Amino acid sequence: MADRQLDVLVICGSLRKGSYNAALARTLPALAPAGMKLRPAPPFETFPIYNFDIQNSSGFPADVNTWADAIRSADGVIIVSPEYNWSIPGGLKNAIDWVSRMKEQPFKDKPVARMQYHLRQSLTSVDVILFGRPEVIVTFAPQKFDEKTLELKDETAIGMIKQQLAEFEKFIRRVSPKE
Amino acid sequence: MATLNVVSICGSLRKGSFNAMVQRLLPSLAPDGMSIKPAPSFADFPLYNADIQNSTGFPAPVNTLADAIRAADGVIFCTPEYNFSIPGGLKNAIDWVSRLQNQPFAGKPVALQSAAPGPVGGARVQYDLRKAMMFLDAFTLNKPEIFIGSFASKFDEKTGELKDETTRGLLKQQLAAFATFIARVAAKS
Repeated sequence: MADRQLDVLVICGSLRKGSYNAALARTLPALAPAGMKLRPAPPFETFPIYNFDIQNSSGFPADVNTWADAIRSADGVIIVSPEYNWSIPGGLKNAIDWVSRMKEQPFKDKPVARMQYHLRQSLTSVDVILFGRPEVIVTFAPQKFDEKTLELKDETAIGMIKQQLAEFEKFIRRVSPKE
Repeated sequence: MATLNVVSICGSLRKGSFNAMVQRLLPSLAPDGMSIKPAPSFADFPLYNADIQNSTGFPAPVNTLADAIRAADGVIFCTPEYNFSIPGGLKNAIDWVSRLQNQPFAGKPVALQSAAPGPVGGARVQYDLRKAMMFLDAFTLNKPEIFIGSFASKFDEKTGELKDETTRGLLKQQLAAFATFIARVAAKS
């Protein structure tokens, strides 16, 4: 693990095209340290609303399995998400609910960093190894992203993100199972 | 006395849901003058995406649920806890209706109930739901709190029949308190 480049998955909690959180997620690969390569997660948009009867009859939907596999195969996960009604967007929570029901629960012992406050609670429930600080919370997004290209312009935010990603790389290496 | 028309929203979709069993029980435990009916389902809501809202508008089932909430004198949530918090499907439904003009939860009296197989009975989900309801300007009843833990010891899991008299008493007490609460916080005509 010492020399290997880390493979980190990025999950975005918003579905809309013009999402600031999606823009932030797209920014991350360029700001990541050399020892870490970031890739976007497969979509969760088409997951049905969680219903145990579906799980029990036709099993886990294909796209749920795809999402779970992507998490399992990653060395770490970064979740970038807005807050809806002072909490986690229902769609993202629904995706976490689905994979939390799997036998080989993909988030267990997975190093996870969040760029969103409230996820802490549910991520604790699925047994992640949660990266705490520095936290990245980008406020007043419209002022910090270019209106047309949605490119992140704010130097302070960029600095903070670079720092968080560098710390997250160290964190993943530290908490991953020793080979 | 005018009838209070209350709707109940169940946070679980499965047929054998414990919280649905509680939901079905409520009409028989309600005080005189309160009718409790199940709200329309959120099972077919797409996952919230502002692009849908801005292009084709609010999906029909979203409007149906919102109308039912608006028309009601109060709303009762009967919900499980998924991963220490609100089930994603229920939260998604709240997210959708929260985006409507004439947001249906504003000024709405709300009561919370949760049932669970384990001992804690859904404490975490209710505090999270309180936060969302606070943001949406609902009036959430504080007490009595209904956390139905160790469900199997209190209900017949096959028939949905309530066996535990303490739970029955608490549910009746909460529903009566809810009636008083609704009258207290209702806009003065």
